[in-house]
Parts: sequence; C-alpha cells; structure tokens
Amino acid sequence: MVKLSAGFAAGYRATMPSDQIALETFDLGYAYARGRFAIRHLNIDLHRGEVLGLLGRNGAGKTTTVRLLTTLLPPTEGTALVLGQDVRYGGRALRSRLGVVLQAESLDFVTVERNLTLYAFLWGVPREVAKSRAEEMIELFELGEARRRKPWALSGGERRRFQVARELMHDMEILFLDEPTVGLDAIARRRILRYLKERARHGLSIVFTTHILHEADMLCDRIAVFHLGQLLALDTAEKLKRKHAGAREVSVTFTAPPAPEVRTELARELEARGAVLLERVEDLGAPETKVAFLAPHAEEMLPWLSHWAQSHSLELERMAVEEATLEAAFLGMIGDLDPASTEEAKDRDRSSGALPPGRIGGLT
Amino acid sequence: MKLPPVLRLVVRNFASNLDPLTIIIRFGQPVITIVVLGTMFSSIISTNVTGGGSYTAFLVPGMIAFQMITGGVVSGNLFWLDRRWAMVEQIFSGPFRRSEYLGGLVLTTLLFALVGVGIMMLVGLPFIGIPSLSPLGVATVLLTVALGSIFFAGLLITLGTRLRSANAYFTIQSFLQLFVIFLSTVYYPITPNTPKALAVVFYANPLTYAANTIRDAFGGTLGVVDLQSLGVLGALALVAFGAAIWGFRTMELGPIQ
Repeated sequence: MVKLSAGFAAGYRATMPSDQIALETFDLGYAYARGRFAIRHLNIDLHRGEVLGLLGRNGAGKTTTVRLLTTLLPPTEGTALVLGQDVRYGGRALRSRLGVVLQAESLDFVTVERNLTLYAFLWGVPREVAKSRAEEMIELFELGEARRRKPWALSGGERRRFQVARELMHDMEILFLDEPTVGLDAIARRRILRYLKERARHGLSIVFTTHILHEADMLCDRIAVFHLGQLLALDTAEKLKRKHAGAREVSVTFTAPPAPEVRTELARELEARGAVLLERVEDLGAPETKVAFLAPHAEEMLPWLSHWAQSHSLELERMAVEEATLEAAFLGMIGDLDPASTEEAKDRDRSSGALPPGRIGGLT
Repeated sequence: MKLPPVLRLVVRNFASNLDPLTIIIRFGQPVITIVVLGTMFSSIISTNVTGGGSYTAFLVPGMIAFQMITGGVVSGNLFWLDRRWAMVEQIFSGPFRRSEYLGGLVLTTLLFALVGVGIMMLVGLPFIGIPSLSPLGVATVLLTVALGSIFFAGLLITLGTRLRSANAYFTIQSFLQLFVIFLSTVYYPITPNTPKALAVVFYANPLTYAANTIRDAFGGTLGVVDLQSLGVLGALALVAFGAAIWGFRTMELGPIQ
C-alpha cells in the first residue's frame, strides 16, 4: 500500500468543496477551422475522488477532451463546468486548481531535482514544502539516480516518470493525465497506478487517458469510450464488460502447430462465424500452436472447434473461454475496424457528427 | 510570500534556460568587439569620421544600443525553446495567463538588456573614461534600449509563434541579427559618402535610431531628432509587441520540431 505524506493528505482534504461533482460537460464539442470535429456532443461527468478513464483509438478525441477541460482549447460547441467553473471563462483561477500531465514531453533545461523544485516555485509552493515533496517524488518515482541529471540524459521511461512526479509537486483538485504510462516498465507502471489510486482515495479526482486497457481496468472507477470524436459508452469497467464483451476470448492450443493453409482455413471459418482473431505482440515469435479469438457466442464455439480439429486430424491440448476482458468490451464496441475504412469514416462523419452505422457493438 | 505570477515566470526564465555559458557568450561578444575592434580600428580610423573621439568612444554607445538585440534574442530563443519542449503548453495549463507569460518574457528581455548596458559601460570605462551623462541622458539611454529590446523581442516572439521548425526559426533569427546590426550605425556612421540607397536602408533600421540617440546622450547633444527617434522606436516596439500578442492569441499549441 502506498502511503501519502501527512502534508499531501491534509492538503487535499482542505481543498475539497462540499459539491460532489468535480466536472460535468454539456454537449461539449470542438471543431477545427474547416468544420471537422475533433469531439462532439460530449456529456460526461466526474465525481470527487473518482478516477475516470478515457479510452479510444488514436484520434478518437481523448487528448482534445483533456485540452478542452483544462482550458488549453476553447470549446466551439457546448461547455463544461470544472470545479463549478465554466471552462470558457474559468481561466487562471480554474487552472490553479488543476494538474495536467500532457502527452508531449515538457522539460526545463535543469537537473531533475531542480526541475521539480522550480516547477513547485512556479506554482507558489513554499520552498520547504517543495523540498520535502521533491524528495518524496524522487523516491516514489525511483528518480534517485537521475536526480542530478538533465532531461536529455534521461531515458524515455525516466522522463515520463519525472513528468508525472513534477505535476504532483503542487496541490490540485483534479489531475488530468494524458497517457502517463507510455514507455514505462510494468513495475513502474504499477507503482504509479497504485499511488494515483491512493491519491484518489484521499479525494483527488483523476481523468486518465490510456491505450493500455488492463491499466484502465485496474485504476478507473468508470471508463468513457470514445470513437471518432463521440462518446460511445460511459460506465464502470464491469458493466462495460457485461454489456459489450458479448464477445469473449476463446483460446485454443493444439499439440502441434497446424500447417499454414490449415490456419488460414481456420481463420476463414472463424470469421464466417463472426469471430475476430486476436494477434498480440506477446504471441509473436511463439510456436504457432495457439489461436486466440473473440467470439460472440463463445461457449457454442467449443463443440464446433472440437469437431473441426478432429476433421483436420489435429489434437487439442487446451481449449478455454476466458473471462470477459475490457479489451473484448472495447473491441466489441468499436469493432475490429479496418484502418482504411476508419480513416474514410472519420473524414465523412466528423463533419456530419454521425457515427458509421452498424459499427457500434459490431461483434454482438 | 508568493511572488506575482509574472515575477515567478521571470525567475524561472533565468533559472531554467540561461546557463552561465549562454550568458558569457551573449555579453562576451560585444565586450570582445569593444576591446579588439575598438583598439584595432582606433589606430586606423580618423577621428574626423567618428565625430572627434576615438573609434572606441564611437563604438561603445553602439554596443550599448546592441544590447537591444541581445535582450530580444534571449527572450525570442527562450520562447522558442519553451515551445519546442512543450513548456509553453505546460505553463499555459497552470496558474498563468498568456499575457503573464508574455509579460515575463518582456521583463526578462529588459533585465537582460539593461544588465548588458551596465556591462558595456564598465568595459568602455578604460577606453573612454566616465561618460558625462546627465540624468536625462541616462534615462534616454535606458529608455532607448528598453524600447529597442521590446521591439526585437516582439519581432522574434511573433516569428516563434508562426514557425514550427527550429531550423527555420534560427536561420531567420541569425539573418535578422546580421541584417539589423550591419545595416545600422552601430559600427560606422552615415557620412556624406554613404551611398544614398544604403543610407535609406540604414534609416529604416530601428537600431540606427537607437545607436544615434545613445551617441547623442553620451555627447550631451540630445535634441528634437532624438525625441523623434524615441517616438519611432516606441511606435515600432508597440507594433512588434502587438504582433506578439496576436501571435500568442492565435498560436497553435502542440508539438513542433
């Protein structure tokens, strides 16, 4: 369990207003100059001490949403109330209550330690508090060896850890994290997520964007799924899985790798039955004895698979239907879209605000 | 006690981006010019050309005017690096207004330029002695450099808000510096022998107004022309600062190279 220092915990309790809604959007939208929408008709809310995950493919509108909610971009449609203030007029007073870890690396040309204290100085954190927080952050984010190094001498993971650490140098009521764990190893990632969870328990509200679905599953109280600039769903991970992971993962392991033409045939047959083959990075290079796919009626696939294997003289070592995962729910919602058709759909639908028909819940 | 946001930004500008080497080079270059160029040219340039004094005495006010470029370049580069390393976006997402960030840059420019004025004065002492500057003269020198710095900083910041490539920014910045310095009266006066076309270009250059005014302040010959020069510099500073504000308002945040 990650322990918060007394200073941090007291700081958050003191700044928590009685209102339980941290932010709420009202048909929030942003259009580029030529009328193409980055985000449209967005209605989400965030409660005090809640962690809200924003999921979606690249270009789905997650970063734009973060920028709108932190006043970095002015909305072109609708608005949002963040900590009770309208983002269109909130300005500095509002931003002084927020923390933002941007997707882009932002650095000053001084040592890690100096970066931390200098950033705290910018936020008006008293020097003594800044010094002790810097120590706390250096330890928590394992930056001890890097503390005297300048940003260009840090590894990608160290830079990312440093960036999250720096933002935690000041008090805030809502923390926005735009893909904070990119490039981090599993241990560092878990450590940061656990720490964020602990801060949320002490009243910090967090908006968190990520592409790592099990991370969202682990950290977020609720998850908003975006696609082509629109909100597809907003619910707890459990409910999303229940609703949208109608397709569950089936994994089959053969005793010997099937011949390539047999694999191709299997893929074709599975596709015909509405299943989507899963190709994971961790499976690359592994002996091709395993096949994993998402299937809408997973249990019904097992007898068919068994029969199919027999008819192709293949021996099954293991066959299992996995628990519903957020990945399955996500794919279930967005569908395993072909990138070309996605780009085409994006161009077509951003200006009209409509989503491509039949894509939502494509597998179920 | 919490400092006002603009001052916090100024402290951060100095602490984060201005390493000792940068400072030494920025101030060292005009110092070397005064010492080496002044000494060498004093022996070969007639005092008739330089208005009666040595070439070094002519050069020192020019190098003081040059500080407007130094100050401007410092904040232009600061802004570019902040933009390149996403610190502009990071600062804008914090408890600062865009105007405060711009104000911080301008104040950094002024501090840098005015410190530069002091250094040039000190370096010039062994060569030209203590200048007999009246309080009005001192005020004129400081105001001239301040307005000139704001002009040049405004110009470079505007450029920085428009360009998305470091290569383009630094190439244009170097060219501008070269153009402004060599087509001004920093190093040489405009004489009746100066080609007419070149004289026109010289007089279109704000650094010429700054250098001439500072020389008049040093010579105790301030007059209406200098007041007009200050007016021109003030107007140019206003235009460049206005352009920088416009650049800030319309600037696209996000990654650049």
